[in-house]
Amino acid sequence: MAQLGSFALMLALALSAYSFVFGLVALVQKGRGTERLAETARRAGIATFAAVLLAALVLAVAAFQNDFSIAYIYHHTNRDLLWPYKLAALWSGQEGSLLFWSLLLAAYGLVLRLRHKTDQRLFAHASVVIAGIQIFFLLLLNFAARPFGLMQGAMPTDGAGLNPLLQYPEMVIHPPMLYLGYVGFSVPFAFALSALVMRYPGEKWIHITRRWTMVTWAFLTCGVFLGMHWAYAVLGWGGYWGWDPVESASLMPWLTGTAFLHSVMMQEKRGMLKTWNVWLIFITFMLTIFGTDLTRSGMINSVHAFAQSSIGGWFHSFLLIIFVVCLVAYLKNSSFLRSEHKLESLVSREASFLFNNLLLLVACFTVLWGTLFPILSEWVQGHKITVGAPFFNRVNVPIALLLLLLTAVGPLLAWRRTSTESIKRNFKWPALFAVLAGVFLVATPRSWGGPFGMRPWTDISYFYSLMAVMLAVLVAATVISEFVRGGRVISRHTGQNLLASMVHLGHRNTRRYGGYIVHFGVIIVIIGFAGSAFNQDKEQEMTFGDQMTIGAYTLKCESFTQDDNPNYASEWAVMDVFKNGAQIATVYPERRFYKASQQTSTIVANRSTLKEDLYLVYEGQSQTTGHPIIKAHLNPLVMWIWIGAWIMLAGTILALVPNAVPVRAAAQVPVRDAVTVGAGD
Amino acid sequence: MTPATLLCILFTAGTLFYVFYLPGVLQLGPRKTRLAFLLERKEAVYENLRDLNFEYKAGKFPAADYQAMKTSLEEEAASLLAEIAKLEQAAQLASSRVNPQTNPQPKKGASI
Repeated sequence: MAQLGSFALMLALALSAYSFVFGLVALVQKGRGTERLAETARRAGIATFAAVLLAALVLAVAAFQNDFSIAYIYHHTNRDLLWPYKLAALWSGQEGSLLFWSLLLAAYGLVLRLRHKTDQRLFAHASVVIAGIQIFFLLLLNFAARPFGLMQGAMPTDGAGLNPLLQYPEMVIHPPMLYLGYVGFSVPFAFALSALVMRYPGEKWIHITRRWTMVTWAFLTCGVFLGMHWAYAVLGWGGYWGWDPVESASLMPWLTGTAFLHSVMMQEKRGMLKTWNVWLIFITFMLTIFGTDLTRSGMINSVHAFAQSSIGGWFHSFLLIIFVVCLVAYLKNSSFLRSEHKLESLVSREASFLFNNLLLLVACFTVLWGTLFPILSEWVQGHKITVGAPFFNRVNVPIALLLLLLTAVGPLLAWRRTSTESIKRNFKWPALFAVLAGVFLVATPRSWGGPFGMRPWTDISYFYSLMAVMLAVLVAATVISEFVRGGRVISRHTGQNLLASMVHLGHRNTRRYGGYIVHFGVIIVIIGFAGSAFNQDKEQEMTFGDQMTIGAYTLKCESFTQDDNPNYASEWAVMDVFKNGAQIATVYPERRFYKASQQTSTIVANRSTLKEDLYLVYEGQSQTTGHPIIKAHLNPLVMWIWIGAWIMLAGTILALVPNAVPVRAAAQVPVRDAVTVGAGD
Repeated sequence: MTPATLLCILFTAGTLFYVFYLPGVLQLGPRKTRLAFLLERKEAVYENLRDLNFEYKAGKFPAADYQAMKTSLEEEAASLLAEIAKLEQAAQLASSRVNPQTNPQPKKGASI
């Protein structure tokens, strides 16, 4: 089994090397026969997918067959592990996750190479870049992080087991989502580098990569939110985001990728920001490699990093090579990236995109600085200084609020310049709604709990929460006004009712209106974040019949008990939950001890509603009395975060759907071709 | 020979066959030209015009703003169309030199 897997990886490396070297030769050489050479290079790239897939299948089969002669299978599985977690073992350890990275890259490469007829030469360049990236990962898998390494000595009868923190349903899908996001950015990177090297005229490479980038961004978004949900449900500290280095590593490419998705519109629409866009995608790709390095090399301590090793040097060298290649390509071809237009006014849609990009990059730099600070401080001062959540929040919360303001303002501004009259016309009502929302939150009684009865002057976090909700209302109002106004135009032309017209509108320009739905999802998420200013928690030792009160809830300990199964032993409490004197639920906070790995894990009992989460953690037993210690958290509006994430995903899916064909009606413009009246992009 | 070794040999043979056994004639895609770039850019400007018209009809801009933006986009479209026409004429001329029987006529109103 191991022999077959190792052979497949070696063959994959040889195929990738062929695809890279001969693909490059075919591009550089001119003359007869180069097309045939290029075709063999393309096919070698496709065959790489088959070889890597074979290796991944061998590893998965070995996990299901409990083949503990393979060291990776021994270290990450055991006989009693449930089958979904045996599958998840493929990406739970370093070697497996690098193989998974390579498999996903090969799959993306396969799709790219199969679509080569779209633009033969551009795709041939991109194929070479993808092959170059693939070589790096296959070198790692063949020489530095071998997934098919064998156990020394006698064959063990059982494995060491999977890390308990990973034995949670979301961990079966969270890493693949995150990796699909990370790896996916290789494709726009490959096209951007190719377009630059070729001095490819026009914006077609952006049209080609637009869907790739959106799909990748959607996967990364899913990965980030699944990671948050996993941290919330499994780590048992009551929060979903702790600015852990690995969380930050996934956020950074998301921030630059989001910036790219916005700024690329300026290149498509106005031929502007070409250099900026190329560097944004270069940086995004480098951040995905950096994120993988951070997660897998053990460079920084993290609750999410499930591997420690010495492969950091490989990643740092690869990052350096990428940077040098990008820089040389840019310096040689920078004249090709001249903008076709200049920024005409600071009050224009172009300017709003530019500010949005600057803010996203500042946020990204702040996160990078905070993440690397322990390493930098160790270099400079000799000891590690870790920066915590207060640093990240102090910088990023105001940035997020400004971004929210731009999200509201941007769509209502015109390209080129916007007059004062236009601003008044578009912002009067949304601004009024936002102010009314703020007044309502301050005026409502505090007894309503959560964000009601806000006193923004008493604490900065309350002030930020109030601003977040007001800006969220502003964005919602502008999004709704865009749909209503557009719907009215369609309604006038087609005679449909307003709702049907708005649906029609969404179909006619999926990218724009899908984007608005993503913005709507973002504000729902932001409202969820705003709720964290009102979090409460309480810890108490509890025996039979003991009670604890938190917010409007009273908790009563009915019993505590223990259980045992082949995979783990567990102890939990049975807690009745009362609200206004009536029992509303019974919950079971639990703590597990996994036998194979000899590690404990928390299973949180969470009663989630739109208003708040009642989140209970079984902290263990008191050493003096033997009674369970229960920690209760009351977290307002958390459910909004998960709902917002679903809305963002729905908006992205809509944006990916091709536009319906607009009704053709000649507009009054003195150019010869008919211009159709439809929703623009 | 073990089954794993046999599988390795078969897999390698299949891969080599796929990579190096090519059909007699390869299907190649089009190459990008300056004309194609201009046509793309023209489409983008037309799309901007459609966008502007739609937003004006939706009541987002006052008439004066609309007129100014429209004129600016139309000027951009006109200069693009002029260059496109020039390149198309040059291409037709070149093809008539290669094949004089075709005797191309310049497009009416091609230059702006």
